[in-house]
Amino acid sequence: MDEYDEMFEIEDNFEEQFADELDALAQLENESSKPTKRQRRNSNNDASYIDYQQVSDQQITPTAKRHKQDTGVVKRLFNSVQCDDITPPSSPEYYEPSHTVRSSSAPALNISGFETIPESPRRPAAVAMQSHALRRPPLEGDYVTVTDSSGCRVYLRQKDTEAEEVKNCRMVPNPQGSLGLLAVPIDVLRDQEAERRHQQLVEQTQHLRELLASSVNDVLVEPEIREEEEKEEEGDLGDSEGQSYRLWVDRFSPRHYTELLSDDFTNRCLLKWLKLWDTVVFGKEKVSRPARPDRQARVQTSFKPNQANQNQANQNPNRFKSKMEMTEEILEAELDMYKRPKFKVALLSGPPGLGKTTLAHVIAKHAGYNVVEINGSDDRSAEVFQKRIDTATQMKSVLGAGERPNCLIIDEIDGAPAAAINILLTTLNRKDGHSGEAAAESAKKKKKKESILLRPIICICNDLYVPALRPLRQQAFLLTFPQTQPSRLAQRLAEISLRHGMKADTGTLMLLCEKTDNDIRSCINTLQFLFGRGHKQLNTRIIQCMSVGQKDQNKGLFHLWQEIFQLPRTKRKRVGERFEEVPGSGGSNPRFQHILDLASSSGEYEKVSQGLYDNYLSMRVRDPNLQSVCDALDWMVFSDQLNQVIMHGQNFTLMKYLPFLSVAYHFLFAHPHVPRISYPHSHLEATTHLQSCRNAVSTMLSDIPASIRTRISNLNLTLDILTLLLDIICPKLRPVNPQLFSRREKEQMCELIDTMLAYNLSYRQDRTPEGQYTYLLEPRVEEVVRFSGLPPRRQLTYQAKQTISREMEQEKMRRAEQLLSQRNPAVKEAAKTSAATKPSRNHHQRLENIVKQTTVEPRQAVDFFGRPVAPKQTTAASSSDTGQKCAVLAMGKAVGNSDVWFRFNEGMSNAVRRNVYIRELL
Amino acid sequence: MSLWVDKYRPTSLGKLDYHQEQASQLKNLVQCGDFPHLLVYGPSGAGKKTRIMCLLRELYGAGVEKLRIEHQTIVAPSKKKIEINTIASNYHLEVNPSDAGYQDRVVIQELIKTMAQSQQIQASTQREFKVVLLTEVDRLTKDAQHALRRTMEKYMATCRLVLCSTSTSKVIGPIRSRCLAVRVPLPSTEEVCNVLTSVCKKEGLLLPPELAKRISDKSGRNLRKALLMCEACRVQQYPFSADQDVTEPDWEVFLRETANYIVSQQTPQRLLEVRGRLYELLTHCIPADIIMKGLVRELLNNCDGHLKPEVAHMAAYYEHRLQLGNKAIYHLEAFTAKFMAVYKKFMEDGLDGMMF
Repeated sequence: MDEYDEMFEIEDNFEEQFADELDALAQLENESSKPTKRQRRNSNNDASYIDYQQVSDQQITPTAKRHKQDTGVVKRLFNSVQCDDITPPSSPEYYEPSHTVRSSSAPALNISGFETIPESPRRPAAVAMQSHALRRPPLEGDYVTVTDSSGCRVYLRQKDTEAEEVKNCRMVPNPQGSLGLLAVPIDVLRDQEAERRHQQLVEQTQHLRELLASSVNDVLVEPEIREEEEKEEEGDLGDSEGQSYRLWVDRFSPRHYTELLSDDFTNRCLLKWLKLWDTVVFGKEKVSRPARPDRQARVQTSFKPNQANQNQANQNPNRFKSKMEMTEEILEAELDMYKRPKFKVALLSGPPGLGKTTLAHVIAKHAGYNVVEINGSDDRSAEVFQKRIDTATQMKSVLGAGERPNCLIIDEIDGAPAAAINILLTTLNRKDGHSGEAAAESAKKKKKKESILLRPIICICNDLYVPALRPLRQQAFLLTFPQTQPSRLAQRLAEISLRHGMKADTGTLMLLCEKTDNDIRSCINTLQFLFGRGHKQLNTRIIQCMSVGQKDQNKGLFHLWQEIFQLPRTKRKRVGERFEEVPGSGGSNPRFQHILDLASSSGEYEKVSQGLYDNYLSMRVRDPNLQSVCDALDWMVFSDQLNQVIMHGQNFTLMKYLPFLSVAYHFLFAHPHVPRISYPHSHLEATTHLQSCRNAVSTMLSDIPASIRTRISNLNLTLDILTLLLDIICPKLRPVNPQLFSRREKEQMCELIDTMLAYNLSYRQDRTPEGQYTYLLEPRVEEVVRFSGLPPRRQLTYQAKQTISREMEQEKMRRAEQLLSQRNPAVKEAAKTSAATKPSRNHHQRLENIVKQTTVEPRQAVDFFGRPVAPKQTTAASSSDTGQKCAVLAMGKAVGNSDVWFRFNEGMSNAVRRNVYIRELL
Repeated sequence: MSLWVDKYRPTSLGKLDYHQEQASQLKNLVQCGDFPHLLVYGPSGAGKKTRIMCLLRELYGAGVEKLRIEHQTIVAPSKKKIEINTIASNYHLEVNPSDAGYQDRVVIQELIKTMAQSQQIQASTQREFKVVLLTEVDRLTKDAQHALRRTMEKYMATCRLVLCSTSTSKVIGPIRSRCLAVRVPLPSTEEVCNVLTSVCKKEGLLLPPELAKRISDKSGRNLRKALLMCEACRVQQYPFSADQDVTEPDWEVFLRETANYIVSQQTPQRLLEVRGRLYELLTHCIPADIIMKGLVRELLNNCDGHLKPEVAHMAAYYEHRLQLGNKAIYHLEAFTAKFMAVYKKFMEDGLDGMMF
């Protein structure tokens, strides 16, 4: 440990020396140019530098005395750096040295939000280390990109370029004269050397990563514990009972970026997104300046944070290339005209207990914001929401807290109503006419109403796919939380339990993590609960027997099905084991218990069993005798019976037996492979189809006359009658006009129509999508009786159907008339007489005949308007028919010598007609 | 009234084509004046309904044939409205209570109550009771049947019940004991042939006896089906030939194919295909018990004599479960899978036996 202390002291000296400059650094959190600078300016820090070099490039032989014993330490440190510090843009490691001044005076550091774990002695080494091998391209200077076999990309700074070396030599009183040798620019040599160095690096990295993975990393734990202890001591001195009422979750919640347990990549993405706001929120620079390539932007002259910011913004995207493409692209996007990032809102989503809220708070503080939190499910009304958003984004606290800008965090936004979300969206999309510079000013001016959004907003939700969030999803920078790594969580739990004197081994804690599904909050609460119950010694049994701490959450149905059909990976041996030997509550058969728990917590037994039924046959289980299929179906039958009893008799106590179906299926069909599960549609489809068939039949039945209706029931209609009936109504008809049918055929036709009417069938003309006309049987009973895959029945032709349809219409009319006349004979008589007096035939209504009648009448001919018409001869049309000729002649007399005449058709347009002869056209 | 089935349906007990002895008994029953509750049962297509209508005509005269359809709305105690269609004449009311689903109890109670509470107007010239004809009694729920039990006694003075069902096994004992059970068996093949020939003669057609025989075989002596098949044959081809095709209902063909599927291969994949086919049958409104029955019949035809008792036992077992359960497809598939397993084992054992 003494080397730690030594280094720490060195560090402190350094901090004291450069305190003021580093303060400036702290404000703007600019780290980009630091490493080189530090090298240049910092003689004290050389020790760590040497350490690093000793590890990474051995031909630079440092003369520091203790480098030999340091090697191991540095390796470990190096490991930690490699594994969990893929340093974010302004991650605390970078500027950590700058703040250790503050951190030495402990109280100040908490407020600032910038400080990291100050005591951690590994930091300097880490910093120095990073000056050579980086996870992202260095901000300045040339670098070599090297990708190792595992796909990790490392950027090696070519810091031994001539210029830099020379500079170093010049500016720093360099104890190693040997550095000058490297200034010889032999490219080949350099490349080889870089390559070799990299390989070494990679080897070490891998070796040490393994070490870390096995969670025997004391290096990481210790400093943090120590820190906690320090803090706790203050608290413990004050009040010992204070512990009892404070939840451990709050007490041990992370205060700094480095303490976060959530996934590094997620953390960094969020931080990076937040940093994109720096330009507009903290922006003091001239934004009009074009972004220069960072190589030219040597930060030698004066320390310009803004410029560095810009560099960072330009360069950041490159750092994630090996990770997720999507996120990278989002972060790469250009700032908009107001220098805001493209996505104004970050939307964090994930199951509860992963530390989303904590992350948002810590990062916002870290990036120098004042956190304003709105709870989306509390402030539900739109007005309140609007007010709070406006307050948070457009105002600024004047008193205290160092006048930091606000960062709005909207928690549980999935509980917010759609109206509130819409308000948020309008806030996001506000535009104003100012140019970029004016916008930056307007942030300070605080325009009244229409000011654009100039503060970052972080939204947090559990369920990303709530309908209300849909519009927001498209405009937000989406970050989905992955599971917390159990090893890290267990490590943290170990710290906590150690702090309270509980003894727990890693296995037990891992079990706890597993039990709670890596829910941090739940883990810590459980731990506190156990502590409160007086358990000082934790072991596996306690955890297993404990009923609290188990997460009672609803996993998706697909997850459940997958769990049922998939064997847990570690317990592959137990496939053959049946569950007859039912375990006690202690869980002698964890698989049994696990599936039972899952199934009973899901609650949707109907859906679950449907899914099992639809999928079990496609599982890859060797079952030559169909024994397990039979068993499975017996279970299914049992559960169906059970369901019937439950539903019929409201006997809900029996419901507790329903989840056992899932367990049975698990033991019958679980397979190590990932199952392909499809959503069960079959039952729904069947029900729908059945319903449509039933509807067709009942439509048909509803209008069948009573005398026939009494003979047929629903059942025998579908079973016996319908198929044969459909055959019977498809007789062979000669494709001729029905007038030309023989007597026999006419009878047949008559019978057919009779049958169809009796059974309420008719043809309806319909147009197919291809534009052809067809006649369809109505109601659509054909669907009911016809099965796919059978040879098609004989169909009538279109013409035949048309004929039948027409005849049916006539028959219907005839019958209706008959019925009417039967009902009231008086009307019928009247109708008859009127029919006798009036010409009812269509052709009689033509003008000739009207005219004929009028001419026959003794009274004087009148024209349409009732005026007397003088009879006058016109030229008669040549007609083959003599009868027609005389009619025409008569017409000529009646209408007059004009060959234009009018006729009024009631309800139609009064068209003008003129007789045109072919000879006139010729 | 143009289908032969409807056109040539006998309307009086004297004109019935077969079971004449029973007809005369029924006639006597009507004449002796003390008309009991009746439970008429027998397979589909045997002529239950025809006999009941003849009986009613015998009771009330031709006025029974003036039928009307009434749409009735009954409010259940749970304030749920149940709509049901009834067919009624002045003397009787026909209702299929199972249309109302699980609310059939309410329907029965309400309808019978209203029917029984209205007296006949001219009791001197007519019968002093009306008749309520309940069809598909075997589909009634137990609740409804128990409700019926009390109602039958209470309104005995003004109302008689005629129950019509395909089997008595689902009618509870108390009801069976309160009724005079009349079984209407299927006509024999000769009787079916006679009916077919006489109908064809009336239509002026000549039916070859071979064809008549084949039709009656194909129809399973279901006279309704036989007549429809005969008419379909007529439509298909008039001068009948003895060996012409007799159309069968599609679902029967489909069911037979399904059974062949089961026999030809026994794998989970095949089971999946069979499931699809069973679903299709179910969605075409074919009741599950009929599917089961048809399936068993076809499978029994296909399997060895040693297996038959076992298969029949299995069928009975799963049929029972089917009645108790809700989702028919599970039970049908369970039966299929069980059959597959048994059949496969039997075949493999047979193969082993042949090898040694």
